[in-house]
Amino acid sequence: MRGLAEDDKSSLLGRRITPGLRIVAIVLISVIIMMVDHASRSLSPLRSTLAVATQPIQVMAEIPGELSHYIGRYLDRGGLISENEALEQKVLLLQSRLQRLASLQAVNERIRALLASASTLDQNVLIARILSVSPGPYRHYIKLNKGSSEGVFVGQALVDAHGVMGQVTVVTPLDSRAILITDANHGIPVENNRTGLQTIAQGGGKSDELRLPFLTNNADVQVGDLLVTSGLGGRYPSGYPVAHVTRVKHQPGDEFLDIVASPTAHLNRGREVLLVWTSHTAEQAREDEQITDTPNQGDAGADINGP
Amino acid sequence: MIIERRVSGLLILATLGVALFLTLVPLPDTLAAARPAIYPATVLFWVLMQPLNFGLLAAWGCGILIDAIYGTPLGEHGVALAVAGYVVIKMREVLWTFPIWQQGVLLLPALVAYEFVLFWIDGVTGAEVNQWWRWLPVLTTALIWPFWAALLERIAELEVG
Repeated sequence: MRGLAEDDKSSLLGRRITPGLRIVAIVLISVIIMMVDHASRSLSPLRSTLAVATQPIQVMAEIPGELSHYIGRYLDRGGLISENEALEQKVLLLQSRLQRLASLQAVNERIRALLASASTLDQNVLIARILSVSPGPYRHYIKLNKGSSEGVFVGQALVDAHGVMGQVTVVTPLDSRAILITDANHGIPVENNRTGLQTIAQGGGKSDELRLPFLTNNADVQVGDLLVTSGLGGRYPSGYPVAHVTRVKHQPGDEFLDIVASPTAHLNRGREVLLVWTSHTAEQAREDEQITDTPNQGDAGADINGP
Repeated sequence: MIIERRVSGLLILATLGVALFLTLVPLPDTLAAARPAIYPATVLFWVLMQPLNFGLLAAWGCGILIDAIYGTPLGEHGVALAVAGYVVIKMREVLWTFPIWQQGVLLLPALVAYEFVLFWIDGVTGAEVNQWWRWLPVLTTALIWPFWAALLERIAELEVG
């Protein structure tokens, strides 16, 4: 076997480097890079360059799923027809509600103007398609087909027709990545719609579960309560439904209740999401841009640098 | 034997591309947990079979790429792959003496090292996943190694003759 004597030790600057030395160097460099990457956003250009370079493969990896999706739809004509009928009925229903909403909104805005309130109801939305869900089964990320070229910003809230889904964590010019509210690294400030009680809902790492770990035994929470975003922390617009409480358990000897809620948003179904702009969150994002050096410690609780 | 010849960088890149594709193809949740780590297996294959060509630095670079895609801290998969590669280098005299279809079992230490480094860094950075099925890919990768490595070797032999 030719060359096996020297292949372990390659020559650099006249000295010989063994794999042992090399692995120590690699580990040290990696630890430094990881610390820098975890603490600040200074490496994100490198990250997005690498991500863009591998985009063709990522897009190709989506093809089999897309293909089976479309073929399935093509073959299922009866299903399409009934789906279409159901959708038409829904549109009718929603339109009638919308008419009422328009007048309500007008009233609301007049009253707000009277109160000289700064908050507005104006919210722009952009429909984005889900390109892929997280590659690992443990991290709850989705990738969207809209990026900074269309104004998407880090920290932007993501909703679907049923509730809050998550927030954007990484933006490249052409796409963006969002963390879902069920990711174990994510927390969202919520309030109980029935009582107004404020708390934080944390992801549990399961795709259908949120936890409310910070409520004491005397808190008024019942199964079925709706949790909506409170808007505290400034990351999520207020008033969007987040989850329904599905279990309230009192552990004897524990000061806190064991509360589990299931997200109202259809997190692992559906292929489209809405990106929300509120005047408030846009301002917040601009402020965040100016202080990118300090990692966000806001009470939105989410780790915006990614796990 | 392809160990003594240099396989072209293009071929190595192509196999890594295919492996990355297989890693990213979406699977249902239950299957995804057991998905063999084809991409790390491919990197380790080249570390094992191309000692003159593909070393720890290359393995590290391949891991950094994964970090950029997954959104994990840059260097996490890099250092995991480099450590696994180091284990492979330390064991390669033994590994070379065995036929490919028996190497899967012998590679378990390297695969465990890979998964353990990831597990450790996940824990340190607060993204801990402490469920037993996290270790499933170690087994499935060892099981799929004979087929995957044999395929890679055949392709490499076609090129270098």
